Amino acid sequence: MNVTLTVNGEIRSASVPPETTLLVFLREHLLLTGAKTGCDIGDCGACTVIVDGKAVNACLMLAAQADGRAVTTIEGLATREGLHPLQKVFEETGALQCGFCGPGVILTSKALLDENPDPTTEEIRTALAGNLCRCTGYVKMIDGIHEAAKMMQSATPALPAPEQR
Amino acid sequence: MKHRGRGLASMWYPVGFTGYANPSGAVVKVNEDGTAVVLTGTVETGQGSLGVLGQIAAEALGLAPNDIHIISGDTDTCPMDTGAIASRTTYITGNAVRIAAEKARDILFEVAAEMLGVKPNMLEAKDHKIQVQSFPSRNVAIADVSSRAHNGIGTPPIGSATWNPPMVPMDPETGQGKPFGTYVYATQIAEVDVDDETGEVEVLRVTASHDCGTAINPMLVEGQIDGGVYMGLGFALYEEILFDKAGKQINCNLTNYIMPTTLDMPAIDEDIVENYDHTGPFGAKAVGEPSLVPTAPAITNAIYDAVGVRITALPATAERVLAAIKAKRAREQKQIPA
Repeated sequence: MNVTLTVNGEIRSASVPPETTLLVFLREHLLLTGAKTGCDIGDCGACTVIVDGKAVNACLMLAAQADGRAVTTIEGLATREGLHPLQKVFEETGALQCGFCGPGVILTSKALLDENPDPTTEEIRTALAGNLCRCTGYVKMIDGIHEAAKMMQSATPALPAPEQR
Repeated sequence: MKHRGRGLASMWYPVGFTGYANPSGAVVKVNEDGTAVVLTGTVETGQGSLGVLGQIAAEALGLAPNDIHIISGDTDTCPMDTGAIASRTTYITGNAVRIAAEKARDILFEVAAEMLGVKPNMLEAKDHKIQVQSFPSRNVAIADVSSRAHNGIGTPPIGSATWNPPMVPMDPETGQGKPFGTYVYATQIAEVDVDDETGEVEVLRVTASHDCGTAINPMLVEGQIDGGVYMGLGFALYEEILFDKAGKQINCNLTNYIMPTTLDMPAIDEDIVENYDHTGPFGAKAVGEPSLVPTAPAITNAIYDAVGVRITALPATAERVLAAIKAKRAREQKQIPA
């Protein structure tokens, strides 16, 4: 069957078997391998992507269910001007170690901050409860999300980047 | 009702085993532009070891960590490393990198000594310069020295070294020797709430105080402590591999092999107790594995403090804790004289 969706602002389509999950669609048909295949049964959150503003486990959603919808993957976060504040903070504060959970954690956090620009620690913990991380104990991630929230609130929205000399 | 308790556990942990060969090698070369390349066989697994090795090379050469390019984990091109195991990378590979960098630096000193008209042993490398000790205004840029070494004198500044913690043979009569290069020490305190009706344990706070020698990168040390407490928490309360009678694992996915989530994590107060170990690179020892050793005993001691039961088999699941509480109640009722 033919599936057409908007991925990171770009309309993409592919003809796939109906049982294809969104994760397989992204990784194997669009070659966007940022979303990771961890457990493939919705336990670990490594495959998290954003579909119409909500963080979802791409391994539990069929590609056909995402037909006509807008999907954001980790590949869509950085721009020509630089990294997304979450990516920048995570890099600078050591919020990731091996990094396998990183794309999922960052997209869950982005969906949270898009909906709730100034979350409490409890709200962050609740949002991230479906993303398992073996390395970090989540400590620096939670600190980093607070930090990114501050950066995103103080940033001037939607102005073009100044010309670099 | 819930009962609050606090428990404490201390540990020592050995770093750099000496019973078998345990070497790491490193090659450090300073380029013509004053940057440097480190070749190491070790592998970065996310703990930040390459960042630390870069800092060690930078410190020895008087450069900044950003000037160091590291090539690692390729046995075709890199010197042998025993492995990213046993919390040994900072201590052993770090020493190899430090010595290799110092050898490359000594070549720079020979060249700079001639340029500055002093003896090589009067020089130090600092802030991208080779300068005369106590007279920092008499200096030359490392880039200029390195360029001259390469293209003028013909002594490219390249150093290579291996380091193996000194072996001390075991005394055949007493069995005594020196099995490890050095030791680290730590104490952790856990604060828990235990529900005496369900046996459920909630860890509220862990204070983790760790001696790691010199903390070459305190942010990464904290990250290792956080991760260690996380794994110690899983070991204490949740994680258990279950087998059926045929020896086949029955909980082989994350639905039933329970790892702590964000909602299970306590607040962690990381406390780094620095101390200079003369055998380590710039005084550094280790922090990786040691960070999870005291967590489970601190939590089980806190359970004892809260409800007075000793948990002797891990994980301390709600079922096990509740069974222990019931057994204690039964014992106490029997002891009441009729």
